[in-house]
Amino acid sequence: MPKLIIDNIAVEVPDGTSVLEAALSVGITIPHFCWHPALGKAGACRVCAVKILEGPVKGIQMSCMLPAQDGMVVSTGDGEAVALRKSVIEWLMINHPHDCPVCDEGGECQLQDFTIAGGHGIRRYDGKKRTHVNQYLGELIEHEMNRCIQCYRCARFYQEYAGGTDFGVLGRADMVYFGRQCDGPLESPFSGNLVDICPTGVFTDRTARFRARYWDYDMAPSLCPHCSLGCNTIPAARYRELLKVMARRNDAVNGWFICDRGRFGNAAVNAPRRPRQPLVDRQPVGWDQALDTLLGRLSEFLELHGPGSLAIVGSPRMSLEGNIMAARLRDLLGAGTICYFGSSKQSEPALEAANSLTPDTAASQADVRSADLIAIVGCDLLEQAPMMALAVRQAWRNGARIYAVDCDQTTSLYAGEVAPALSALPFSEAKQPVIIYGTDHKQPDSSDDAVRSGTKLAFILNGPNDFGCALLAREQGAVPLADALAGGKIKGLLSFEADLTTELPDAVRVLAACDWQPTQLMQRAEVALPATAWIEMEGTFVNNEGRAQRFRQVMPPGLPIRGLGPDGHPPREFRKTAPGSDILPGWRLIADIIERLEGERVDVPLSGRWQKLQGINAEDAGESVL
Amino acid sequence: MIPESLRHELQQRVAQAVTPREAAVDVLKELQAHYGWLSDEAVVEAAAILGLTPLQVEELATFYEMIYRRPVGRTVVHVCDSISCWAMGGETLLSQLEQRLGIMAGGTTADGALTLLPCSCLGNCGDGPALMVSEQLHGPVTLDSALKILGRF
Amino acid sequence: MEAVLFGHNRPDRAVTFDEYCAEGGFAALRRALAELSPAEVQQAVIDSGMRGRGGAGFPTGKKWSFVPRNLPGPRYLICNCDEMEPGTYKDRILLEKNPYLLVEGMALASYALGVQHAFVFIRRGYEQAARNLRRSVAEALSAGLLGDRILGSGFSLELDLHQSAGRYICGEETALMNALEGKRANPRAKPPFPAIKGLWGQPTVVNNVETLANIPAIISQGPAWWKGQGATPEAAGTKLFCVSGHVRQPHCMELPLGTSLGEIIDGPCRGMRPGSVFKACIPGGASTPYFTGEHWQVAMDFDPVAKAGSRLGTGGIVVFDQNTCMVAATLNLIRFFARESCGWCTPCREGLPFVRHTLEKIENGYGAADDIEILREHVHQLNYAFCALAPGAMGPLEGLLRLFEDELREHISARTCPFKTR
Repeated sequence: MPKLIIDNIAVEVPDGTSVLEAALSVGITIPHFCWHPALGKAGACRVCAVKILEGPVKGIQMSCMLPAQDGMVVSTGDGEAVALRKSVIEWLMINHPHDCPVCDEGGECQLQDFTIAGGHGIRRYDGKKRTHVNQYLGELIEHEMNRCIQCYRCARFYQEYAGGTDFGVLGRADMVYFGRQCDGPLESPFSGNLVDICPTGVFTDRTARFRARYWDYDMAPSLCPHCSLGCNTIPAARYRELLKVMARRNDAVNGWFICDRGRFGNAAVNAPRRPRQPLVDRQPVGWDQALDTLLGRLSEFLELHGPGSLAIVGSPRMSLEGNIMAARLRDLLGAGTICYFGSSKQSEPALEAANSLTPDTAASQADVRSADLIAIVGCDLLEQAPMMALAVRQAWRNGARIYAVDCDQTTSLYAGEVAPALSALPFSEAKQPVIIYGTDHKQPDSSDDAVRSGTKLAFILNGPNDFGCALLAREQGAVPLADALAGGKIKGLLSFEADLTTELPDAVRVLAACDWQPTQLMQRAEVALPATAWIEMEGTFVNNEGRAQRFRQVMPPGLPIRGLGPDGHPPREFRKTAPGSDILPGWRLIADIIERLEGERVDVPLSGRWQKLQGINAEDAGESVL
Repeated sequence: MIPESLRHELQQRVAQAVTPREAAVDVLKELQAHYGWLSDEAVVEAAAILGLTPLQVEELATFYEMIYRRPVGRTVVHVCDSISCWAMGGETLLSQLEQRLGIMAGGTTADGALTLLPCSCLGNCGDGPALMVSEQLHGPVTLDSALKILGRF
Repeated sequence: MEAVLFGHNRPDRAVTFDEYCAEGGFAALRRALAELSPAEVQQAVIDSGMRGRGGAGFPTGKKWSFVPRNLPGPRYLICNCDEMEPGTYKDRILLEKNPYLLVEGMALASYALGVQHAFVFIRRGYEQAARNLRRSVAEALSAGLLGDRILGSGFSLELDLHQSAGRYICGEETALMNALEGKRANPRAKPPFPAIKGLWGQPTVVNNVETLANIPAIISQGPAWWKGQGATPEAAGTKLFCVSGHVRQPHCMELPLGTSLGEIIDGPCRGMRPGSVFKACIPGGASTPYFTGEHWQVAMDFDPVAKAGSRLGTGGIVVFDQNTCMVAATLNLIRFFARESCGWCTPCREGLPFVRHTLEKIENGYGAADDIEILREHVHQLNYAFCALAPGAMGPLEGLLRLFEDELREHISARTCPFKTR
């Protein structure tokens, strides 16, 4: 643990920490471009120069390249260091276009920040600027090579971190070019991270091009709803329209990155077909009328068929809060059945995870990244949980052995050996072994003593809240919807953000459905209740490792200004609230139904055994429910 | 398409290397010799032989001075423009050659016979100004002797 | 002095294998394998005081001693024949005249280092040298001087040739390793140093052609004898000086290390060419600061040249006469370095073009007084580049500012290059 002094502040850091990171740990940001916490040092940009006044080395040093050592006295403000950093900025600005006003990166540009911080204001170089021809990199990422400052982050991320082979460094000297061999969409399923990682505007999110400035964004810490991993995101919205999604750092979960599905797969939020209006028998009605109708028909239904014929259907797409409220509604109505999963194919892996994982055995993505032996069992990782594949790659890069059992692991991300069974693997030789079970795997053989006690487990599940639903399902004795329907007793459903996996018999009434997506159930529902999408509300998802994480409200719900109505114009009427903004989160809607039935106010969905999740800070690593 | 014999020869070279990449520059040079320049097709061929992607081949191809990613004439005339040859009149030689061949530096004669390329030090400094034509060093050359070497006198 | 490297040379062709052997060639290897332990060979090199001939002048024996003996896996020796420093052609001449010295030297070095696979990384354009080397390797192989169990000993060595496709940066030892591995030839961060983690992550020694070619003599004649071939008590061994520019007889010659600049020019080079008066020279390849008439007596050895404000470098001496514009000469050098930058780090990639542009302005008559300050800043700031290319490029620029500031100012005040109007 070297102790050193940086700008008169005493710092103690673990061995191997660079001076740059040591400074960051006490809040001193030394300018940097090529260094990135996930990519490490490159020593290319030379902008992190500091002066070492005392210690084993002296003089001007690159703080990213220099390990902190005992007795170092570091000055970041020394005149010589400042002058060098200023020179570096001047060099970078020789060719960087002065196009900030029309650049999407403007306002969220590291180069802009450090140029201003470095005091570079007067251009001394009076030659021509170097120019490049841009490439078409697909519909998602815009390429503007003239802005490049050659920090090599993109190529290092794409090739080294993410294992991509179709994007890299071309040319040399002052003609270095970052791109593909020829025009064409980037092949890596992690290509969108180029947008985040580029310190300037070479790679920008094409889907959000020319839409807003950083200071215009509605932003909040959020989560990705696309798979069970619970990667942390920052969605950026404006005027009730989701513009883009950026990765949010969570060292225990996704690290610094997200996959392209999480980044670019969110068009449904802005979809014109999204339910925005309560409907009764497909006719638009007010909220009161919709809920009154629902309660009326519900009581008729219960009277006619009895509570045993009603199923309340929650969903792994819905927040934990919503699913908890669904259970309360079931209790209140005495409904015979509660469902959290569409089918046993969905519920079984989740229940298995909930039954198997303990605080000691649950493997986070961070655990996978630092594992030295990984067995992937019955799983197409890149398809089911791309970021987990990226985590496996990091372990592989550090020398971990990767084995595939009951599955094919042909990928450019890592080289896995095919193993016949878990018992064939050298678990006893490994220090940090991890088994990743996919949804297609066979039940693990618990008597298999080849899997020694220190082995951590990761289960790849389907939805963002599979784990939370599994806990509730266990507690509530839930059955999958398909099984419930097969029993033949169910005559009516109340469905909340649920998806059908089997055909729903015509005889089964969908008394009401609540969702933010135009699902089959919503179309079938007698009372269709629109709800907010996850970025329009606050809530909790429990990811595949049993980590409860909070997502906060990014933007208010309501029709986005862009793309309104068939004529593209907002409704020509005056009112104080935005059209479509009177929708509620799923849990709140259930709470309203409960209140109408019971007359008592329901404010806190997370109570009882869930109370400890109330205080989760969305910006923290999350809270284990194991 | 390259002849099967060449492909076989290159595959042998790759097989003998410590890693396929180690043979990359050799493969590029051989394919360049076959095509006259490293054409797009050659890049794809090289990638297949080396087990790399075309991008990975391109990363190497665009790094080196003597790999041509644009068509060149049947003979490439490298005119050293570094310090020793400069001191001995290399600049003048180059501009005279430009004039006599009717092409600018970097250009190819209309008949496709010659491409004139200034290049970094050829290591023939004691005999400047120097040329390299078909991998053969020449120097000291005058305009006349250079044209003789090029068969253009 | 006795010729250590050029003793076997024939005037018009390369020495043959039989001639080389008849004149005592491969005796050192035979002796080492029969009588000396690897440690003894290494000790002889340490005792010789040999300093690397590639440019940096690092003691060769010391470099070898950094290689750990206990790491698993192979170790590699690489001969750096990427001789692309403008003004330098000694290694080419050496290989064109006598490739066997290198083969024998590499065998000895490999024996000392416990290397079983060695590479010669040779630049493009050195086709004759490469052909010679290929032939000599084949001859040595069939004579049992390379390959498995050399001369019946337990020592085996595979010697491979890697021909580059032309980039100055490939001569930087870590960039060279990347090039050899078939990657882009960007230099690697140090530490780890090549002696610990080099080619394919294994311990690796990179030595220059001339350095390795000296090893046979050190072993066969003894380190003391070898050391005594220098011109001064401090100068160990002989040195190949390759002279170019405005002298009467530019060529590559072997002289005692420490021979003075004046002796080299007036002696073997037979003085300046008719009509030329010595103005300045580059003493050791393109990255070394200029010498002028005041340095005539400087002993061409590592320390004396450094003391006089330059570097011995490669021993490539480029001589300029009174009609040479030093601004234009420096511009030519900077153009070379800017073009040959690998593009990895900012100071080199962007700083060198800035210097090039500034010198172009001055040379073409539209420079301003402030431009000299810009040049001065760069001389300082480019020291903080990733590798030695940019600092090396600043050698001649530093010399220009120190020795020829008047000439620079004259360009600015006259608004033209005075040598163009003279």
